Amino acid sequence: MMPGSISNRIRTLRFMNGEMSQAELGQRIGLTRQTIAAIEAGKYSPSLEAAFRIAQVFNLPLEEVFQWDAKATPLKAS
Amino acid sequence: MSYREKIAWLSLIAVGVTYGPYFKLVARGPGAWEPLPHLHPLGLFALVSLVRMLILGAGYLYLRMGTRQERPLLDERDRAIEHRSISAAYYVLIAGMILVGCFMPFSSTGWTIVNAAIFSIVAAEVVHYGVVVASYRVQAS
Repeated sequence: MMPGSISNRIRTLRFMNGEMSQAELGQRIGLTRQTIAAIEAGKYSPSLEAAFRIAQVFNLPLEEVFQWDAKATPLKAS
Repeated sequence: MSYREKIAWLSLIAVGVTYGPYFKLVARGPGAWEPLPHLHPLGLFALVSLVRMLILGAGYLYLRMGTRQERPLLDERDRAIEHRSISAAYYVLIAGMILVGCFMPFSSTGWTIVNAAIFSIVAAEVVHYGVVVASYRVQAS
């Protein structure tokens, strides 16, 4: 398998959007606070649909929220 | 800790405190003094199942009272973890049932087979809830 993992800017974007809480973001896209925390920490890779929904909340294109880091080791948890 | 992880911990504890002592007792075999050797394990199994249901019922009620304001919803990560844990438990259950149904009838009888079947089911449950707990712990740490 090719090396790489997904990184994201959700924590920064939440801060820039009125310090939105993880619970609030989760509520808006139908995920639990714990799942948002796991995504932010890079422990869980969201589905494509959830990723698009998160990007939609911040009014940004997907690639500005999630990035593919080709040098990083792949996630084992999700 | 999420609601579903708490439920998984509760189920693991309930299995441990009920079926743990049960299998420890039945492993010794029926006592020679017993006039009806089948009655003892049957009664014990009924008691263990009742205690387990009581623990689970009380635990569910306690957890539901604690999460009254925030109704727990099942999201995609919960479903992925559930899918993974059920897949792992399925293989344990199938292996146990093959052992009980295809091999043990030629070497064992009666309650030995019954208890082996119960053990397979309990082992599958432990694997199920164990994988759930481990998955949530790994993704939380």
